[in-house]
Amino acid sequence: MSRVTESALIREETSTLEAIAGVAIGLCALLFALAMAALFEVVTVTDSVAGLPMSNVLGGLLAVVGVVVVGFGAASYRGLVPTEPRASAGAVAATAFSAIWFVVGGLVASQTLGVGLAGGLLGGGLLGGIAFAVTAIPREDVGSTLPAGALALLAGGALLTGVIGPGWSWTPFDLNATFFPPIVVPAVVMFCSLLGGWAAAKAYGGFGARGRHLGAYLLVYLNALAIVAVLVGLVAFVVFKGAPGVFEGVTVAAGAGPSTTVSAFGFSHTVVWPVSWPFLTNGAALMNDVDGVLPAIVGTVWLVVGSVLFAVPLGVGAAVFLSEYAEQGRFTQVVEIATNGLWSTPSIVFGLFGYAFLLPRFGGEKSLLSGMLTLGFMLLPLVVITSREAMLSVPDEYRDASAALGVSKWQTIRSVVLPAALPGVVTGVILGVGRIAGETAPILLTMAGGTFVPGSQTVDVIGGFQFTASPPFVANPALLEATSALPYQVYALVTAGVGGSQLNDPEAFAWGTTLVLLAVVLSFYAVGIVTRYYFRRKLHQ
Amino acid sequence: MSETKSTIQTESNPDRPVSTTTGETEEEVRSEWREYAFDGEPKLSVENLDVYYGDDHALRDVSIDIPEESVTALIGPSGCGKSTFLRCLNRMNDRIKSARVDGSVEVDGEEIYQDGTNLVELRKRVGMVFQNPNPFPKSIRDNVSYGPRKHGDIDTGVLAGLLGRSNEEREAELVERSLKQAALWDEVDDRLDDNAMGLSGGQQQRLCIARCLAVDPEVILMDEPASALDPIATAKIEDLIDELAQEYTVVIVTHNMQQAARISDQTAVFLTGGNLVEYGETDQVFENPESQRVEDYITGKFG
Ligand SMILES: Nc1ncnc2c1ncn2[C@@H]1O[C@H](COP(=O)(O)OP(=O)(O)OP(=O)(O)O)[C@@H](O)[C@H]1O
Ligand SMILES: [Mg+2]
Repeated sequence: MSRVTESALIREETSTLEAIAGVAIGLCALLFALAMAALFEVVTVTDSVAGLPMSNVLGGLLAVVGVVVVGFGAASYRGLVPTEPRASAGAVAATAFSAIWFVVGGLVASQTLGVGLAGGLLGGGLLGGIAFAVTAIPREDVGSTLPAGALALLAGGALLTGVIGPGWSWTPFDLNATFFPPIVVPAVVMFCSLLGGWAAAKAYGGFGARGRHLGAYLLVYLNALAIVAVLVGLVAFVVFKGAPGVFEGVTVAAGAGPSTTVSAFGFSHTVVWPVSWPFLTNGAALMNDVDGVLPAIVGTVWLVVGSVLFAVPLGVGAAVFLSEYAEQGRFTQVVEIATNGLWSTPSIVFGLFGYAFLLPRFGGEKSLLSGMLTLGFMLLPLVVITSREAMLSVPDEYRDASAALGVSKWQTIRSVVLPAALPGVVTGVILGVGRIAGETAPILLTMAGGTFVPGSQTVDVIGGFQFTASPPFVANPALLEATSALPYQVYALVTAGVGGSQLNDPEAFAWGTTLVLLAVVLSFYAVGIVTRYYFRRKLHQ
Repeated sequence: MSETKSTIQTESNPDRPVSTTTGETEEEVRSEWREYAFDGEPKLSVENLDVYYGDDHALRDVSIDIPEESVTALIGPSGCGKSTFLRCLNRMNDRIKSARVDGSVEVDGEEIYQDGTNLVELRKRVGMVFQNPNPFPKSIRDNVSYGPRKHGDIDTGVLAGLLGRSNEEREAELVERSLKQAALWDEVDDRLDDNAMGLSGGQQQRLCIARCLAVDPEVILMDEPASALDPIATAKIEDLIDELAQEYTVVIVTHNMQQAARISDQTAVFLTGGNLVEYGETDQVFENPESQRVEDYITGKFG
């Protein structure tokens, strides 16, 4: 039981035991990844791998991790590996393990053994207490490996022996829910692999400060990976579901696509596109081979463009006034609270406002313009908030330097403050566009046309401009027409349920629309990010 | 040219209100004042200047006349109000919320602390280099030509280009001249379009000097312009200041006594509490200071 006190700045060679701990870490990462994949149904727990059921394989691996972790702890305790453990694993770890084991003990006692609530509490309390003692009292090498390793062993055993297996299901107490293996197995594996990985990482680092660092690093790293995985999974899910609808009827061949005629100065040239992509270029009509969402795409794009054009100049102007000119005090505070409040106002409230206030003023019908303005009002507070933040974070030194050169305040704002604040402003607009592009409720009330919009109803904003003989000399009837937008179309398809008669496959159509919506929003993001990158580069390089 | 008497003469103005907080030093300080007289009208004439930051009395009753086409050094321990004094001369103190300025500052006999003073014009005439380098996050070229462009002296915009009025050559000339004056040209002539934030601290400081010179002010206020520079660049800046004194009025804050002695024509010594303790010809102040405290400070016994 000699305390190893010597520490080496450079570890000369990794011992076999350390290598084993490293393997355990790798196993945990693998298990974590497999469990993530199982959650997203990329792999199925009921499948068999190399003749063995998936859940058995996972269980076996977990058990191996448990054995290694506990074994390493014991080896370190006996002084077989040079480690630098502290006197105890600490109160935080002890509390966490006792809570975990309390739940495990309670569940096992009350559900598996069937001893009822009191028995469950008793079992849980007992195991929780033991776990606390085991973690807190012995040296760190035992305290942090034994409870984690034992849990991995227990879970692994349950999976291996088929106690929790493909045919199993669990209806806890009298809750109206049943848990099935596809959810439970990945969840258990994920949790245990996190704990086991943490313990293995600590062991690999030789406990002590380095071990703690590695343990924390592993947890944080796996968590970050999990978040990325969730994001990727979500997008992949939409892509898989939506792709059949989106790519239906796509043909690539010379002259397959629609033709565009460009005419200028009396000459006209017709280009025939080599790609035919009906989902993106058609509307919905009885005679179509493949129905598409062109009107909704165009509607969404114009909606976003219009509301950005409306909100950004106003919002940035307000922010300039608030941060550069207005005396910081009661008034600016009130404005700040009001803008924050506006930003968190539910979108249906904006929709109702547009419906009751804007519609009557634009001819009483739903129209693209009312939709743009309504969403513009929604976007406005965010633009104000982020622009103001961005301007306040521009260092006063720039303003002082400019003033000392005899440059007026407005010129300073225009040529120093705004350029420095632009990346922040663009970030705000990006966030805002993400929100408004997917907004359904306000569109429903202010702009939306029918559920299935024929291609002939695609708005032509640019071509819609007309010159008139009387003021204001320019008019655009296209802005005053109702049109569709992607989120609204998804909503209408899913809720209306009447589409089946018209569409071959309403579900594929709805998923396809969703995928297109995602693509449109992501393209706006991309544009925003490129813009921000451009402005940043100008500032820093 | 008339003979102008500078600094406060206790005798001539015996019942001027005396700051009460430090009556004792006030007495002491007064007895140390000496007349500093020079030929010609003063470029800058400061009278009974008090500055407060909130309740903090940062400058006490400072009066000083600064002659044209000369170098005036301000020395004194840290926190004694040198930067504060400098900022009063182009009203940069207006930009500090808590600051309150009492008294009078005249530039060419014109009071700058009065209603209707055009601050933009004032600061074009009285330029400033700050204690901490503060270049804009723009290219080196844009930093230097920023002032002239904003003043409309140089126009390189698209419209000017279309109208054939673009002054890109003049701009290039101005940038080169200013950077050369600030002893920075050789280091940056091949990367004028790089961002100024990528320069070293000392280079940034010289860029700020070049930026100030490009505006062609009459008075140049410099707050420790050489504090971040190596001896070679410092020597170049000192040469520049020497040269500038032919045409401009330079007021420079420095912590370096040798530097003050080398480059300045007259020296003002501030001591703790915002008091101007001694002002006179540099040789006089350094070789034969009237006040014991100033002598202690200069010789390093106190600071
Ligand atoms: N913006 C400000 N707000 C409040 N107090 C200030 C401000 N600027 C300066 N002061 C105070 O005024 C006094 C003089 O400051 P100042 O910056 O003029 O000193 P300094 O002589 O330039 O010192 P240093 O040599 O360290 O630059 C100090 O006590 C300082 O705390
Ligand atoms: Mg200072």
